[in-house]
Amino acid sequence: MKKLILAPLAALTLGALTGCGGSDVDYNDNTKLKIRFHVDIGSVEGMAYSQIINDFNRENEDGIKVTATFVARSAGDTTYDLELQRDMKNGTLPDIITFDAPKCAEYASYGYFYDLTNQFSADEKAKFVTLNTYKGRLYGIPIQESSAGIYYNKRYFQEAGIDVSDITVDSPWDYARFKSVCASLKARHPSIVPAVMRFKDNNSEMATYLLYPFIYASGGGFVDETGKQALGIFNSAASIRGYQFLRDLYDAGYTDYKVEEQSFYKGEAAMLLSSGWTIPLMKDYTTTFPDDRNSWGLLPYPKDVTRASANGSWSYAIGNNPRTDKTNVIKLLKYITSAKSSKKITNATGMIPANVDAQETYPANSAEDVLLQQLEKTSIKRPDTVGYRQFSDTFRMVISSLGSEDVATLVNNKATYLQSELDKIK
Amino acid sequence: MLLITLIVLGIVMTFFLVVFVTDMIKSHKSKNQKYHKSEVIMAFVFLAPAVVMMFFFVILPIFMSLGYSFTDYDLMRPSDIGIAGDGFDNFRQLWKELSEHGLILDALINTALFVALVVPIQIGMALLLALFVNNKKRGTTIFKVCFFAPVAISLSVTAYIWKEIIPVDDLNTRYIAIIWIVFLSAWQGCGFQMLIFLSALGNIRKDLYEAAKVDGANVFQRFKTITLPGLRPTMLYILITVFIGACRVMVQPMLLTTYQSQTVTISLFMYKQGMEYNHVGYSCTVALFMTIFMGSITFLQRKLLGEKKK
Repeated sequence: MKKLILAPLAALTLGALTGCGGSDVDYNDNTKLKIRFHVDIGSVEGMAYSQIINDFNRENEDGIKVTATFVARSAGDTTYDLELQRDMKNGTLPDIITFDAPKCAEYASYGYFYDLTNQFSADEKAKFVTLNTYKGRLYGIPIQESSAGIYYNKRYFQEAGIDVSDITVDSPWDYARFKSVCASLKARHPSIVPAVMRFKDNNSEMATYLLYPFIYASGGGFVDETGKQALGIFNSAASIRGYQFLRDLYDAGYTDYKVEEQSFYKGEAAMLLSSGWTIPLMKDYTTTFPDDRNSWGLLPYPKDVTRASANGSWSYAIGNNPRTDKTNVIKLLKYITSAKSSKKITNATGMIPANVDAQETYPANSAEDVLLQQLEKTSIKRPDTVGYRQFSDTFRMVISSLGSEDVATLVNNKATYLQSELDKIK
Repeated sequence: MLLITLIVLGIVMTFFLVVFVTDMIKSHKSKNQKYHKSEVIMAFVFLAPAVVMMFFFVILPIFMSLGYSFTDYDLMRPSDIGIAGDGFDNFRQLWKELSEHGLILDALINTALFVALVVPIQIGMALLLALFVNNKKRGTTIFKVCFFAPVAISLSVTAYIWKEIIPVDDLNTRYIAIIWIVFLSAWQGCGFQMLIFLSALGNIRKDLYEAAKVDGANVFQRFKTITLPGLRPTMLYILITVFIGACRVMVQPMLLTTYQSQTVTISLFMYKQGMEYNHVGYSCTVALFMTIFMGSITFLQRKLLGEKKK
């Protein structure tokens, strides 16, 4: 009797383990594709991705069924990387992977990404403001674009008699004027901090993303074009001048390590360095900004010897898994990077659409217009290096100690450290 | 990989077998045999699961780590492991970073400072608290619970709570940040050592205190001549465990400041090198360096404070 029960059970288990594990098609002969998102499934962004995948599954007539999995961003980059590493080792990388744009070089160099160079025509590539390349080859298509700027409280500016109506992306303010605006604000409102420069965010990529343009604007840089040489560039005189500008703001009391994003929303700070995702949040702070868009504005990054602004956001890549025929994967990639999908994502996140066909025409000098113009005219990518994590950590170490150590010594020490880390990369 | 596992497994099994056979022979030959043969067999059967677990989770990782320290093992290229240069590249890199005041020297200084401060502070606090609650007075239990409560709280939660307490500028300042981490760790950990001290205090004979009182010894004299010698073996155990725990400090700086030169520790440095920068080979070299350092100090501790043999 026991044998009668156990035999079919064993057969079923064996079948489940061997027969259904690695197949590319399901019982209805649909091609099974997998996509992995590095985002919290319950977030607005996560739900938008789910919606796009559901739409694809419903609309496509080629018998493709996509399964989406989510790894929460709050779980950290390491968790995500370890999953990718495990999948790479087992040959089970998802067909499509999402990744943060600056990590393209690292993943591509390790062979995780499928080369997309010949899969997209020149016209298709032209639809994207930026593309994720490594050594001249295309590896990633952006999901959304980002740019940042200086949000300001119009009431504080008016009370301090500051007029910034002449500042545009084409005619930006410079470092000296930025300091003078801070000085006027501090003189008129001694109890508020003139600017939230995100020094407190030195424990995350946020500080790197928002502050690196100040170094480029001073004519400095981080690594050479090979991505392997930092010494002499990270600590060049121009780079040190950029860091010194940030230090000057701290020394003059124009910013500090205590103020955070919330300080601006609560009216405890007059300016906030932030990205496009701040725009949809502003309407929630009616006490500080009672008249929404008439209560706040957005200014471009100040320039020094040149103009520079932030860019780079999440992107899609095709996983270099054993599936040799990528036709259906390419089909899926083109769908999720289409103007229609791009719009869905940016409606959820407030970011700039990656696909130019999804971009709208915004009123002149509106926040969105400033961000879009910056993206097109002044944005510079974060350093293209296989050692991006090492760079980002080093940059944040500088920001963290900027208020307490001599700037030149600090930057020189950290340049040596970064060089030593880059030298370790095979 | 499989070869290393088999070699180490062979060594452990041989050792286990030799001990087993020796015990069997001893139990067979001895006239005043303490245990029967069947009891010896049973003991080894019960011991086997622990030995297997120890093999897979302690011995094998140690040998693998030792082996990897000579390689260029990259976490993202697990199937492409080769010898790093002539085998000593990682060791040369470690020396270079130490001699050129690289981040690892900051990590070493921070770890040393942390250990030097947290060991006496945590043990001192634990002893004080144990002496305070070591009585039968009403309400003592509530103090015991309060003092032990931080031990039960997750270190991540503790770190986030303390992040709100510690001034932001302090966390960005060299040495000050470490001192805050010392207080956090001592506060969080001392409750556990308090319990161990409490149990040891209960084992000290009460008549010794009564006799000392009769002889006119004051509180300090009683503590010095009865309590401290009575706690000596417990103190050694606590000293070694707190020291080893302190050398491995990682979670607190990681959660309070992430990876910063003012708070980086050896463990955090190792974790970063291995798990985030993918240099597993180099990370294992640092681990080997740390193991030798910790082992030497622990050996010295045992020599200096160890129990006198009867």
